[in-house]
This record gives sequence, C-alpha cells and structure tokens, in this order.
Amino acid sequence: MVGLLEYAVIGGILYGLFFSLIGIGLNLIFGVMRIINLAHGQFIMLGGFGAYLLSRDLGLNPLFGIPLAIAGAIVIGYPLYYAVVPRLQKSHDPEMLSFILFFGIAQIIEALAVFGFGADQRSLPGDALGAGNLGVLGQEFPDSWWVAVLVSVLAIGGLYGYFARTKLGYATRAIMADRDEARATGINVDRVSAIAFVMGLALAGAAGVFVPYLLGSVSPDIGTGLTTTSFAIIIIGSLGNPLGTVVGGLVFGLGTMLMQTFYASWSNLVPYVLLVVIVLIRPSGLLGKAVRHA
Amino acid sequence: MALLELGGVTSGYGAMQILWGIDLDVGAGETVLLLGANSAGKTTLLRTIIGLLPCWSGSIAFEGEALQTLPPDQRIRRGIAFMSELGVFPTLSIEENIRLGGYFLSDAQVRKRGALLFDLFPDLAKKRRDLAASLSGGQRKMLGIAKVLVSEPKLLLMDEPSSGLAPVFVKQVIEVLKTTIGHGTSLLIAEQNVAFLALADRGFLIDGGRVKLSGTRAELEASDAVREAYFGL
Repeated sequence: MVGLLEYAVIGGILYGLFFSLIGIGLNLIFGVMRIINLAHGQFIMLGGFGAYLLSRDLGLNPLFGIPLAIAGAIVIGYPLYYAVVPRLQKSHDPEMLSFILFFGIAQIIEALAVFGFGADQRSLPGDALGAGNLGVLGQEFPDSWWVAVLVSVLAIGGLYGYFARTKLGYATRAIMADRDEARATGINVDRVSAIAFVMGLALAGAAGVFVPYLLGSVSPDIGTGLTTTSFAIIIIGSLGNPLGTVVGGLVFGLGTMLMQTFYASWSNLVPYVLLVVIVLIRPSGLLGKAVRHA
Repeated sequence: MALLELGGVTSGYGAMQILWGIDLDVGAGETVLLLGANSAGKTTLLRTIIGLLPCWSGSIAFEGEALQTLPPDQRIRRGIAFMSELGVFPTLSIEENIRLGGYFLSDAQVRKRGALLFDLFPDLAKKRRDLAASLSGGQRKMLGIAKVLVSEPKLLLMDEPSSGLAPVFVKQVIEVLKTTIGHGTSLLIAEQNVAFLALADRGFLIDGGRVKLSGTRAELEASDAVREAYFGL
C-alpha cells in the first residue's frame, strides 16, 4: 500500500510537471493578450505528429520535434497573430470573440490533420527516448517520462528566466499588468505580444512531442481533450499567471495518478472535479490574488 | 516654434466624442497646466497626444513633426513621456519599473540614469527589489515620476499627479516637479488641484472637451472663472 502511494505521488509529480508544459502556453497567451486559444490542443497535436513524422519518415530522434515545433510556431504564429489578435483586441469582448474564433481555427486544424495524417492513432517506438526505466525512492518510471520532465523543467525554467532577466520579459509582464500603461511606457505592445503568442504555440508544440509517450498515442482528435485539460490546469493554478500553471499541473498530475492508482475508473473526472472545486472555493486559482476577468 | 502644438484636435472613446477642437501649445522649458474638473476631457487629451486614443481630426505636432499617425512607442522615442494616474506596474519591482521607463535605451544608459534617480529618491532606492504594489500612494507617485524621467524626456505629460494623495504628498510631488522643471523638461500637467497653478508658466482651463480660457498664471489666477471654480471666491 505504501509502495503504491509512493508510486502515485512520484508519478503524479512527474506527470504534473509534464502537464505544466502542456498548459503553460495557453496561460501565457491568455495572460498577455487576454484571449483564449481554443486551438491550443490542436497545436499540441501538431507537435506530436511532427515528432511522429520525423521519427517514422526520416528516422530521426523524436526530440528533433522540439526545434521543428519552434520553427512551426514562428511560421504559423506570426501571421496568425497579426491576422487575428489585433482585430480581436479592438472588439468589445475579446475573450468571448476569441473563444468563437479559435474554436473555428481548432476545427480547421483538426480537419486538415485528418486530411494529412489520417484519423488513426499513431504511436512511436517506446525506446526512442531510452529503453529502460529510471528509479527514485524505489519507484521506477520509463526513461521517456524522465526526458519529458527534464524538457518540461527546462522550458518552464527558461520561461521564468525570460520573465525575470530579460528586457522583453519585463515588457511582457508589463503588458500582463496593464496593456495601456505598457503602451504609454513606450513598449511596442503588438511586437512583444506576437513574440509571446509564438512562444505559447512553441511550448504547446514542444509538449506535443511527448504526447505519444505519456498519453500512449497521437491522433487528430486529441486536441479538444488536451485544450480542456489545459484549461482546467491553468484555472486551478491561476488564469493569466503562466508560472501558476506549474501549481495547477502538479495538482492535476497528483490527483490523476492517485485516482489511477486507487480508483482507476474515476480518474478521468479529476480535472473537471478539481476545476469545479477550485472555481467555487478560490475563483482566482491557487496562486491568484485578484479575481480574474474571465 | 512651440515644442508641442495642437490644432483643432478632436477625439473620443468609440463613437463618443469628448474633445471638440482643442488648440494648445507648450513651449520649450515651459510648464503648462491643463486645469479642469472631472470629465472635462483632460485625460482624453493627454491620451490623444501620446497616441493611446486616435486623433479624429486636427493636428498634433512635436518639434514641428506631425505625430497623429504615429503609434505611442514612436512618439515616446521622439522625447515625450506620459505619466498616467496609475503611473507604475504594480506587479513589477521598483527596479523593473525604472528599467521599463527607459525601454528603448541601452542597459548602460538605464543603469546610469537609474542611479541618478535613486539618488533623487532614496526611499525608492532602499526598496528597489520590492514590488511597486507594496509602496504607499505617495511613494508610487514618486516611482511614477522616476519612471518617466529615466528617458530624460523633452516633454512630460502628467495626468492628475495629485490624484489619491494626501496634501502632504501633494506638496512632495510639487517639490519633485520643481526639480524636474529645473532640468529643462517641459511639462503639461492635467490637474483639478489648483495648487499646481503655482508651478505653471501658463494654463488652459478646459471644460466639456473645449478650451474655455487660456493665459499666463497671473491671468488665470485673476480670472473670475478660475477663482469661482477653484478658489471658492
């Protein structure tokens, strides 16, 4: 029993760190632009397919999917930002309009993915990220989990460093604090927001590389579920505070692993139950101080 | 040639017109007070000058160059700074606020100017790593002033610097502004606190989005409209 609990807790932390990476891009985009990217899960799915294609067709390590995700985010993200976001922000209710617009974009991406990759589930060879297991406190987890966690921690740490140590990071936080004040300070808000948008997509794509390993497979229809889970995670942590996503991810990861270990058939309810409980008890999220606007 | 010159400026929010043909000028090294009650259009005018609101018609010229089509960051690069009522980013540290005040300057320039400003505001220097949200109202105003001074603007637009402050802090703000004026920065101060008239070379009385009266400080002080509205005489 104690061994099972240890397994669930350690596994939950690892799983939670990975799910922090899954959700952090969505929270970054919301925090900076106050828009909800309902196509977030579809960008994660594209990252998964990128890794799959690199591995299957070119024989490359799936980790090359990460630079591919960054390049893809730049190529797709900049035009998408300038085509959509400035217009949304001129509307009376950018949050609601973004819901509708990005829902449409999500459907388009999913339909194109079915067209391009087929509707089947795809998985990657389990040994591409290491064939063995790595143990901690007597509990062993596949190498691929540890690689995913390492990349997640590096990505989240990198984002923290960007916020805390760079001029663009200060500017990004300034926009998150007050968009008009940022404009009045001389920050080119559109340029900084576009960078944050691209970073949000890149983080989603990078997380997608590990989806075939941690979730078993990738298919065009996984995007909606991933967006829902990401949304639950960032609300649990703190909507609009990207680093709060880590808290949300850990709570989600621990909750899910504990349920999977002891009450497996109920585990799918975890994100939604947590979401409802947090919204009722602490609407600003575990790390939030003010009542959010969405 | 005036440093800032507005001719027939109209502007507003959405479809609601607030400004109805404002003519105004600020000379180099001059301090001009924009006096008016709540909802007179003072904030709208400053936000239009800096580019946060579009100029619907009319002209805004700075050092002879038309500004009205430029985005705010380009106007600021030309030597204008704007201190809003909030004036700071509460979730950033004092040091980060100062850093952002010189957003388009090099790190070396910001370090040099930041050091001078911390000499001028020793209370802020002691708390440089604290969040701006932890400061009192008066200290936040000081940080707001320090933040806009980092870029050494030629023209500083200030929106209600006395807003939300106790009289003792208003005095402090005025003292700091006197120092600023000594450095040659032109000021356009939007205020409903008539105490700021003591700083001004000239003033404009604004009401209902129109200039009702303009003149030198002495002329405004002698004006019946100002005396009735602001001195209670």
